Amino acid sequence: MAQHTSKWLWFALMALFWWGVWGFLVKIGADRMNPRALQILFVVGMIPPLLLALARAKFAIQSDRRGIAYGVLNGLLATLGMLAFYAAMARGQASLVAPLTALFPLFTVIGAVLLLKEKINRIQVVGIAMAVAAVVIFAR
Amino acid sequence: MFASWLIPAFIAAVLWGVVGILQKLGSNRMNASSLLAWVMVGYVLALPLFWRGSGLAALSRSDLFWGTLAGAANGLGTWALFAALERGAKASVAIPLTALYPMVTVAFAYLMLHERLGFLDWVGVMLALGAGAMLSYEPEPQGSSDNEVKFDEFPGGIKEDS
Repeated sequence: MAQHTSKWLWFALMALFWWGVWGFLVKIGADRMNPRALQILFVVGMIPPLLLALARAKFAIQSDRRGIAYGVLNGLLATLGMLAFYAAMARGQASLVAPLTALFPLFTVIGAVLLLKEKINRIQVVGIAMAVAAVVIFAR
Repeated sequence: MFASWLIPAFIAAVLWGVVGILQKLGSNRMNASSLLAWVMVGYVLALPLFWRGSGLAALSRSDLFWGTLAGAANGLGTWALFAALERGAKASVAIPLTALYPMVTVAFAYLMLHERLGFLDWVGVMLALGAGAMLSYEPEPQGSSDNEVKFDEFPGGIKEDS
């Protein structure tokens, strides 16, 4: 139903918008402070809305040991990625850095195929070709 | 020689790509909100490493505001995606749609920072945007609940997927 669709679409577009704003704000932050300070402020700012998201799920937090390990390692690695992202933003234009770093699913797809033996679909194959072309253009 | 921003940007993409795999593994063992909580623990655990040399105390109020707002914007994006999936969004549609987020960054950079790109850079941006959306597309397994909230790949760390 159109009305039903518009409800989730509105929130999906909100997600798109806020993540886009995040990229822009990181550029502003990266031009003003070092990556360490920016990461501290990023985490401080991120916690309240994420607590809201958890509150919606009634803080039902599972505690599977391997799941915890994946989650915590995820946060640590994402932090390293953030530092690299800030360094890139401080040196380059947000208009180029944001689209290039948004190619991260390329490496997830490659890793999922190699490590998790997942199958790749045709749309993703086209996506890989386009991603490679984009990187070649940015690297010229 | 590459532009100085290219290598760190590439490293960020690789690291976030690995994060995506960890999220796939994690989401096989727990639900999205639980994984989100443990990811946050990872973020917080790393914080003490950054305190020294951060120069945080010397920053102006406006600097503190912009930095914190960046985190809030990312968190709001995550919250909004959760809300979309809870309201019946198909992950196979919502995730590729939200993968277009750099479009907004480019628009703000154009309007507020007056960044200007050459023709080939625009081609690269368009290709990257399309690629990000297509790479994020995963058809739902038959018989699965389409909008089951399972994390996988948000920018900087987290995405949902089913």
